[in-house]
Amino acid sequence: MSNPIELRGFMGLFKVFKERNWSNPYILTIEKIVTGDELLIMLEIEKEQVEIIFVNGKAFLPSDARIQSGDRVALVPPGTPGPYRVLLGFVKKE
Amino acid sequence: MFYRINMADLSVKKEEGALYQGLGGRALSSRIIDTEVTATAHAFSEGNKLVFVTGLLSGTGAPNAGRMSLGAKSPLTGTIKESNVGGTMGHKLGRLGIRGIIVEGLPQAEKAYILRVSSDGLFVEEMPELKGLDIYDTVEKLQSKFGMKIAIGCIGTAGENRMASACVGFTDMEGAPTRQAGRGGLGAVMGSKGIKAIIADDSGTKMVSFVDEAAFRAGSKKLANALLTHPVTSQALPAYGTDVLVNILNEAGGLPTRNFSSGRFEGANNIGGESLAATINERGGKTGHGCSPGCIIRCSQIYKDKQGEVVTGGFEYESCWSLGAHLGIDNLDDIALMNRLCDDYGVDSIETGVAIGVAMEAGVAKFGDSQAAIQLLHEIGKGTPLGRILGTGAETTGKVFGVRRVPVVKGQAIPAYDPRAVKGVGVTYATTTMGADHTAGYSVTANILGVGGKVDPLKPEGQVELSRNLQIATAFIDSTGLCLFVAFAILDIAEGLEGIVEMCNARYGWDKSIGDYLEMGKQVLRDERTFNHSAGISDGADDLPDFFRKELLPPHNVVFDIPKEELETVFNF
Ligand code: SF4
Repeated sequence: MSNPIELRGFMGLFKVFKERNWSNPYILTIEKIVTGDELLIMLEIEKEQVEIIFVNGKAFLPSDARIQSGDRVALVPPGTPGPYRVLLGFVKKE
Repeated sequence: MFYRINMADLSVKKEEGALYQGLGGRALSSRIIDTEVTATAHAFSEGNKLVFVTGLLSGTGAPNAGRMSLGAKSPLTGTIKESNVGGTMGHKLGRLGIRGIIVEGLPQAEKAYILRVSSDGLFVEEMPELKGLDIYDTVEKLQSKFGMKIAIGCIGTAGENRMASACVGFTDMEGAPTRQAGRGGLGAVMGSKGIKAIIADDSGTKMVSFVDEAAFRAGSKKLANALLTHPVTSQALPAYGTDVLVNILNEAGGLPTRNFSSGRFEGANNIGGESLAATINERGGKTGHGCSPGCIIRCSQIYKDKQGEVVTGGFEYESCWSLGAHLGIDNLDDIALMNRLCDDYGVDSIETGVAIGVAMEAGVAKFGDSQAAIQLLHEIGKGTPLGRILGTGAETTGKVFGVRRVPVVKGQAIPAYDPRAVKGVGVTYATTTMGADHTAGYSVTANILGVGGKVDPLKPEGQVELSRNLQIATAFIDSTGLCLFVAFAILDIAEGLEGIVEMCNARYGWDKSIGDYLEMGKQVLRDERTFNHSAGISDGADDLPDFFRKELLPPHNVVFDIPKEELETVFNF
């Protein structure tokens, strides 16, 4: 049996989790490896609501994130103070 | 206009400050200290000077231009120090046409003086009734005598006792002393000069005008647009304050926990901005509070207890961290009380929290025991021997208790970002002229300054260049009188930075480019490094404590691995 993922939502998504009666972290099972974009579709969370997805403590753009069972995942909406977006590696080279 | 006050004979002189034309904020305070203070002088000697200066845009209607700088030789680090503060003082001094107040000499007797500034001039007055009071009581006494409209900056008992972590507390828009010139012990320098408070009354003054009003309005609009449209400055900060960073840093594995023994705290969510905002809103406090006139970001807040009484305000990420995760404490009410005690006794909440964490490491109290931490803070307030040790900062506390893991650089505590997991901040901590200071490398980045691209926070590549550019740009923003948080938006909206350049040019009739202003930032760093070298603090001091290079930080199990030789290239410009 696959291990569930641990999913956290920050800023506005913290509220969304509450409204949906999800725990934070929300525990959820995924059957196969999914991209961040696919995960957001599964969760019915708008693309615009997420700037970065942390997977096991590393920051990825949703399109670059690969999530598999057992991962610790966090959804970060736009709103991380500027320098930290660079220092934490959110800013992607054009 | 400058005022020069000699505390030895209580004389006050007005000067034009010919040596200091074209400078503001940190550029001005650091130039004055570098020019006038003997670098080897003891921080409490008559040779040290304390300066209060306004920024290039202070007193104008520019968005977020309410900050000012305090400067001196620091008793904590022995380096030059600029401590930047919000509240209402900077704006009022700007409107009064004051660019700098330079306090020199030592008083002949241990008395409590205030500096009272108004459009009639600057007056040194004795107020014995303020002696021995903490900051909230001092503010109340001053407001009952001079009215609610004045701006106040004052010290508590920690400053009077010359504790090296003493801050200067400034009043916000509501008249509460929630804003601190926190770092580096400038409250102790103020105490050594016998000054309990500085107060400013700007009645009868007008907003400062511009050489080119139309250009100012255009520039101001550009910056305001950037701040009002960027999700950081228009949504995240007003809703959650800087404490929004707790969960993010925790997720990145860079939230220093229990004296830097881990990068993740299991109680992070309880002390993060999301929980903070929910608690404040539930209790009828206030999020989205602006600490100074013209602030359109409004990152500050008013925190109430369960009974609805105001406990504290300006509850920053760094304080929630130093008094929270760093101590293994996840009870927001206890952290809020500790923040209030720091603000009231008048000590820097970062230095104090870190010192208490080091004491916990030594077994003075247990990690997670918030009541014990509160008691330790009261020791500082009472000025007991233990309180004085803690109040002298983390380095001294570590020495006294024989602790090896002491997170300081040049004697100043490392704040809320573990340099092993966020290596770019590590470079800044190691090399800044101020002793470990996260705000020294906070500013504009990316394409605008040619930094660009993506660094991996866990890898050494590109970090030195990133830190260099951040430090230069920060030194410039710190010189404008703008709140450094305007930089949060400028990363993505280049127009915002253009607006700043246009406003500075319009204020003085200059025709400077961004390159010229960045050159000002570089010159600030050169001035500060000159002072530090003369004070005997050489490039050898530009490094992190060795445990960061040796102890693996969970969860990523990384060390700080940027070679010392590379750190030495930060100031190659
Ligand atoms: S953004 Fe925050 S710190 Fe800056 S002036 Fe506004 S309230 Fe004060």
